[in-house]
Amino acid sequence: MSDETQDATAQGAAPSEGVAEKEGFAGYELDTAREPVVVGATALFVLVFPYVFARMPVVSGILQGYQGLATLMLIWGIFALGFDLLLGYTGLLSFGHAAFWGGSAYAAGVFSQFAAESLGFEAGPVIIVVVGTLFAVLLAWGLGFLSLRRGGIYFSILTLAFAQMMFYLSSAPLSGITGGENGFTAVTVGHLFGVFELESELPSVLGTLMGTWLYAFVGLMTVVSVAVAYRILNSPYGMVFRAIRENEQRTEFVGLNVWRYKLMSFVISGAFAGVAGSLFTIHGNYVPLQSLYWTESGEIVIMAVLGGAGSLFGPMLGAGIYLYFENIVSGVRDLTVPFTDIVLLQGFGEYWHLLLGVLFVLVVWFFPRGIWGLFQDLRNRVTGGDSAAETGGER
Amino acid sequence: MSLLELDAVDAYYGESHILRDLSMTVEDGEICALLGRNGAGKTTTLRSISGATPPQVRDGTVRFKDEDITGVPAEDVSARGISLVPEERRVFPNLTVAENLHLAEVVGNKSNTWGRSLTFEHKGATTEQVYEDFPRLRERKDQKAGTLSGGEQQMLAIARALKQNTDLMLLDEPYEGLAPKIIEDVEAAVHRLNEEGTTVLLVEQNAAAAIKIADRAYVVDQGSIVFDGTAEELREDEETRERYLGV
Repeated sequence: MSDETQDATAQGAAPSEGVAEKEGFAGYELDTAREPVVVGATALFVLVFPYVFARMPVVSGILQGYQGLATLMLIWGIFALGFDLLLGYTGLLSFGHAAFWGGSAYAAGVFSQFAAESLGFEAGPVIIVVVGTLFAVLLAWGLGFLSLRRGGIYFSILTLAFAQMMFYLSSAPLSGITGGENGFTAVTVGHLFGVFELESELPSVLGTLMGTWLYAFVGLMTVVSVAVAYRILNSPYGMVFRAIRENEQRTEFVGLNVWRYKLMSFVISGAFAGVAGSLFTIHGNYVPLQSLYWTESGEIVIMAVLGGAGSLFGPMLGAGIYLYFENIVSGVRDLTVPFTDIVLLQGFGEYWHLLLGVLFVLVVWFFPRGIWGLFQDLRNRVTGGDSAAETGGER
Repeated sequence: MSLLELDAVDAYYGESHILRDLSMTVEDGEICALLGRNGAGKTTTLRSISGATPPQVRDGTVRFKDEDITGVPAEDVSARGISLVPEERRVFPNLTVAENLHLAEVVGNKSNTWGRSLTFEHKGATTEQVYEDFPRLRERKDQKAGTLSGGEQQMLAIARALKQNTDLMLLDEPYEGLAPKIIEDVEAAVHRLNEEGTTVLLVEQNAAAAIKIADRAYVVDQGSIVFDGTAEELREDEETRERYLGV
């Protein structure tokens, strides 16, 4: 950055300072200017994504996407977004987020059954999400309280241990409620707002773009999640998270109660996992026992790091890529030379884990800020802007 | 009554006994220097005051404004009016300059104060005052703190401490790694904040530079105070200087 541009920005910022001066907030303003852009872009993406992915001529043929996967990608995207609040912004690696994902999925499912059988009404998706999320929040409060007593690797191991306890709890002792090995099958989801059948098509253009009401509901939750996360991260509260990630002790010296903020970060992250887990139940009408298994905790770590921990959209992108490999690439029978029938590799799809692994290693080696970080660097190079390290960058 | 009193403090890192029966006082309004060689116990003293762990203070008391603050957690000590500007990377390098400064105000937010039995009143300088004192920081307010030069980072750390409700500022080796020209700037900043009413406890290896601005000095060696007097007296006491400070 040359000195002239610095001076220019300093002068350019001067008038706005006058406005904020009286509160002693001069020089620091909430970065809400970009908020409508971020939320609007998310909404636009959510609006056209299933069409491009599953129905658009040519493109969808190449991508081989389908409606259900588009929904699933958004659900995992919400999960990854919340996970990144903890990993990328507060700097805490939880290896037990399956507890909140699976826990809320079970809570949502069990609640829907309870409502249908004992209360005599079919619970709609909104109330199911509320119940599942509440459960995840309470659980995160408890587990966070216990796990955050230790830092670093011990914290990770503690979260892993608690999540595995949840797994074994639901596999045997609680199998009367959870269905044990078979998973929970008695999910009963009512209509959205009591009116719209989730699997039915949206009217007119919206139907072409987004497909079902289910997708529209998940999409709305995604936009809301992004808006909430963006607001948190750009508030003073989120600033404390970032300060903690950089140096816990120094944050204490400033006079901030680090323990409290870490716990809240954990709970907020659990809440996002709760929203996602509940939507997962609504989407699949089924809760597999697998949803509490430690591999789910591992997947969300991979998604976040692959996409770019410490950015808003990176982990969501990572979730999409992971699911794409898991569901589409794994189904490719033979690798052929494009537009011909010459087979290069038979049973190509079976190698999807390996492919993803190689991709992961390459990304971590060459683009430590993830695929999203790579995009940002490319954009900065094209526009000639500063690297993210120098300006505010992705926050 | 002194602003800060350490009375026979014994501090340990695990089993190693670092501070041995260390007693010292800092009077309201002065600049007090704590000098000594590497490993003498200077930083341990500051950490014992600010409530950082380790070290463990196993014996003796630390009193601030006549209240016992021995064993009080670091964030509460800070809220009572003691700011530590630690050694080396003293800022949050990935936050912008403005954000680094704003953290001092977040301390007063409900999310931080709720349920803590402390009074938080914002008596510190406003951002505007701080920017007047350090115009360099205003120019760079949207830059990440990690991209500032060493001297600018030091200024930022001092500026942030100024914005906090600070009665006593603990400066740990503020001159370390800085060019002589920049040291003068930092000296000026320390003087200014002292004139504005902040008491300063300055820890330095660079004894010559510290004596220059201090009113009073302590020399610490092997965890105990071996000299206690005015800066003038230390300047004239060649034996102590050579024996403990090597200057």
